[in-house]
Amino acid sequence: MVNYTPKDWAGKLAKGFLTNPLTSVLGIAILILGFISLEIMPREEDPQIAISGGSVIVPMPGASPKEVENVIVNPLERKLREIQGIKHIYGMAMNNVGIVNVVYKIGERREDANLKLYDKVMQNMDKMPKGVMQPLVKPFDIDIDIPILTVAFYPIKGTKVNYEKLFKITRKIQQKVNAVKNVAKTTLVGAHKPQFNVEVDLNKLSGYHLSLGQIMKAVQSIAVDVPDVKGRTKTKKLLMFGVKNAIESVDDLKNVIVASYMGSPIYLKDVAKVTRGIDFQNFKKTYITFKKGKNLEELRKAKFSPLKEQITLTVAKLKGTNAVFVAHDVIKLLNSMKEQLHKEGIGFVITRDYGKRANDAVNELVDHLLITIAIIAVMLIFALGFKEAMIVTFTVPAILAITLFIAFIGGQTINRITLFAFLLSLGLLVDAAIIVIENIHRHLHSHESEEKPMDVLLVEATDEIGPPTNIATLAIIMTMIPMLFVGGMMGAFMKPIPLNVPVALIASLVVAYIFTPYLSYKLLKKPVHKHHHHHQKHKKENPS
Amino acid sequence: MKRFEEFVYKILDSKKNKMLVVLITLLALVGSIMMLPTKIVKAKMLPGKSDNTFSIYIDTPTGSSIEQTKKVAQCVIDSLKDEKEIINMELYAGMGIPLDYAGLVKGSGMKNSENVAEIAVNLTDKHERDETSYMMVHRLRPIVKKKCEPLVKGTVIKFIEQPAGPPTLASLVVEVTGDNLKKIRELSFQVANILSKVPKVVDVDIMADDIYKKYELIPNKDKIAKSGLTVDQVNKIIYLAFEGMVIAHKNSAKEPDQVNIFLVLDPQTKKFNTKSLEALKDKLSSMHLMNRMGMLVPLTEVVDIKEVPSNPMIMHKDLRRMINVIAEADEESQVYPLLEARDRMIKYFSKHGYKVEKEPGMSTYMFDLHLTDKKTGEKFLLRWDGEMKVTLDTFRDLGGAFIGALVLIFLLLVIYYKSYTLSGIVLAGSFLSIIGVIVGHWVADLVTRDTFFLTATSLIGFIALMGISSRNSLLLIDFAKALMEAHGIKKRRAIAIASATRAKPIFLTAIAIILGSALLASDPIFGGLGVALISGTVAAVFVSLIFVPVLLDNTKAMNFDDEIPYHHDKSNISITK
Repeated sequence: MVNYTPKDWAGKLAKGFLTNPLTSVLGIAILILGFISLEIMPREEDPQIAISGGSVIVPMPGASPKEVENVIVNPLERKLREIQGIKHIYGMAMNNVGIVNVVYKIGERREDANLKLYDKVMQNMDKMPKGVMQPLVKPFDIDIDIPILTVAFYPIKGTKVNYEKLFKITRKIQQKVNAVKNVAKTTLVGAHKPQFNVEVDLNKLSGYHLSLGQIMKAVQSIAVDVPDVKGRTKTKKLLMFGVKNAIESVDDLKNVIVASYMGSPIYLKDVAKVTRGIDFQNFKKTYITFKKGKNLEELRKAKFSPLKEQITLTVAKLKGTNAVFVAHDVIKLLNSMKEQLHKEGIGFVITRDYGKRANDAVNELVDHLLITIAIIAVMLIFALGFKEAMIVTFTVPAILAITLFIAFIGGQTINRITLFAFLLSLGLLVDAAIIVIENIHRHLHSHESEEKPMDVLLVEATDEIGPPTNIATLAIIMTMIPMLFVGGMMGAFMKPIPLNVPVALIASLVVAYIFTPYLSYKLLKKPVHKHHHHHQKHKKENPS
Repeated sequence: MKRFEEFVYKILDSKKNKMLVVLITLLALVGSIMMLPTKIVKAKMLPGKSDNTFSIYIDTPTGSSIEQTKKVAQCVIDSLKDEKEIINMELYAGMGIPLDYAGLVKGSGMKNSENVAEIAVNLTDKHERDETSYMMVHRLRPIVKKKCEPLVKGTVIKFIEQPAGPPTLASLVVEVTGDNLKKIRELSFQVANILSKVPKVVDVDIMADDIYKKYELIPNKDKIAKSGLTVDQVNKIIYLAFEGMVIAHKNSAKEPDQVNIFLVLDPQTKKFNTKSLEALKDKLSSMHLMNRMGMLVPLTEVVDIKEVPSNPMIMHKDLRRMINVIAEADEESQVYPLLEARDRMIKYFSKHGYKVEKEPGMSTYMFDLHLTDKKTGEKFLLRWDGEMKVTLDTFRDLGGAFIGALVLIFLLLVIYYKSYTLSGIVLAGSFLSIIGVIVGHWVADLVTRDTFFLTATSLIGFIALMGISSRNSLLLIDFAKALMEAHGIKKRRAIAIASATRAKPIFLTAIAIILGSALLASDPIFGGLGVALISGTVAAVFVSLIFVPVLLDNTKAMNFDDEIPYHHDKSNISITK
């Protein structure tokens, strides 16, 4: 046991861990925990800012904007204003529909926010004006709404893939992608569904003396699904027969009898063009043009393909999951289907990959962090000596590991701002360790400590600088605390800095007090004879 | 060491030298702060960020067809085809691109009409490319706009970059608020006009529907009833004929989705000859409805046709009628064009029959203008929102955080030293690092190609610096105090020795911070923080080694040398042993 009673908790920590065999285990454990946290913590490029809000959409067919404003938007706005925590209300009065969007203050919990909005609308259902359709409440859901991956599927030139087939195949792919772990919402943007199109010729219609309504009724009356029918035979046996939906193919539809004219039937095909195609009433379409090349140079020189129609598959991830892993899994799945798709005449391009972006951003900063640590280490070798510099350099990953682990437990993600918080604190982190090692160094070489055993000397040296170091570190932590209360989007965006820098600073103190004396005990030796330059220093400190 | 000690002692020993130090420091402080209003150092919330993608929003006038919109989009894509760094472009006609952060607040997810289109432009990786995405946008914007906007009159093409921080509707947003719909529409056009003439302001757009000619079919209730029809039937058939409807559907084992049966008039036969009332009447007269008696009634018999202007959408914000005018600042902080535009607006509206009043007091709405129509007395409000509001809010909050940090450090020091003067000196010393921060930004601006803005991250750096430099002063005072108390050295000499001895660790930690922030400084967003830390630390070193000793020498609170050294706290002297 160390024969010295420390006054400050700096010395107490140093004493407690100096000769403890578990200290090395603790050090390794901290490093491993940090490394695991770095690997499995969800990565993203920018921190998620939770914006809660939603829209209330109230259709009112046939109303003009001013009517909608008076009847729907104004009363609805007044009611929604009653909700706590709302920042802005935006109302839009258009032809046939009124929309009111609410945006909550930053930091409002999404579940509560959605519930309050829904509740307010439902409570006031009795005040709904007449002629208004059921209101639709749609909360924003950023996690699910912002896709992390988008893939464009397009027909390869020269193959006979029509749009309908493209849709069929992408729909199948969507099903498979949705089954991937942690994938949330997937959508097909620009998808056009197959449909039977009946295009009625107006001139023929008047020629046959028909109205559009008749045609509609004729088709509707045939396109029905009926359950199986039971019939009985004379011998009391059951005879089952099913009525098939009369319309199975385009031809069935073509031969629907619309009316009879002068005794002969008029078929649908006589008055209309009936085709199987896509929903052309949907004007939304997506196109893509791209370059192909094996490497960057080729890519730069390549020519763009002509603009062709495509279907974009968008993939969003579940909240709190790692975008990097999700994107990676989905891309792996797609690549495994590549050959098969190629055979069918379909190609794809990945047009957005936030997983890769987040990973690149994080990796780049981790590299920066390592480079910075190396630079500081080199500087310390010149200033303190090799072994001392190594001891200080070890403390940096240990501090970062503790901070990362605490951030991980606290449910944070690794993003650019978290890593900037680390870079920002890096210069401050080595400080505590430098102060401790400098004092140890001084004690080792001073005359007074010649007689003291190594362990006592280390604890004493650490204990000595405790109070001023604590106060200095506390001063820096104090500057960070008020930043926690910065409001708005920017405050939420910057939050990782005031959250992580204080933790890192406290960790730097603890690590400096535990591991610096411990490692010094293992690595440093008491000099056998005095260096003369310390003599000079000594003289200066005792000027008389 | 000894030489530095003598140097400090010399300064402390002569009143003239001390005055000189104080004077130089004050001059540097005033000079550096003056760099802000004189725009030598420009402020912005966050600088531009180079990304691997940007998007282009195309808005043709309300009432344009999808074909017209696509024509403009095709033109945009064609004019970007020769760009080497673009690897693919996706066109989303009639809707927004899959949601991203920029689109989130710009309402891109809500787009659903024939007059909108968005193009996602994907670039090569930013590390492999010399030109940043914002420089590229800056270069391409005028070319594309000049070529493609005239294709359909009234088209607005906007280039949207990924935001570096939190997204906003636009960098410049003017909310024209008032009760009179016609008037705010008029005002918003004038505001847009003024904005578009301000240099460096681009992509000006009024967020309101254009008014276009449309025809209204008014069902004549009398005639409908007399001819044995119903109003509902008439409305439905008109919709069915021209827009079409899904009239039935069919499930199938072979299809991934339900297959709809869609009924509409043949495109050939429903096409109008011209865009005129006659053509519409002509077409409607050939349409018939069947009444209850099975007789066919021509549609024109039961409806009246009138030509009317379309009804534009009415926008509200916080229960008030409002029209947004938005614009982007091209390669510039939004602050300066905003102030310029505001001055022009004050002049313009004062001349054109309005009484213009500025928003009284200091708030984050302090740039707002209140207009009163001199004739009618109607009141209007021009409110600046968008990035300016976020910037002001952020700077206000960070300023608050800064004051909070000051107070907390002050209290901490008062507890530690039990002296207001000493704590004040430490605080003053740490505040002076602002000289370094501002000068550092000026130097950074000189050496970089783009404008180097003083940003929100610079402010964060400055706040962090407060802690660092107060620590320097703190250790200095501690050391000097201990020298006086434990070794009975005279105050002036003790201060000189302290600053010479503390010089090494202060330099050491300063170098660690500078090296640690060096890589930060090259980052587009956190560059401000890096530069603030580097240059602020340099300033802090000088301040704590020269300026703070001067102040310490002059204060009585530092007179520990004549105190009897038995009641002091032992731990305070320990580092000097």
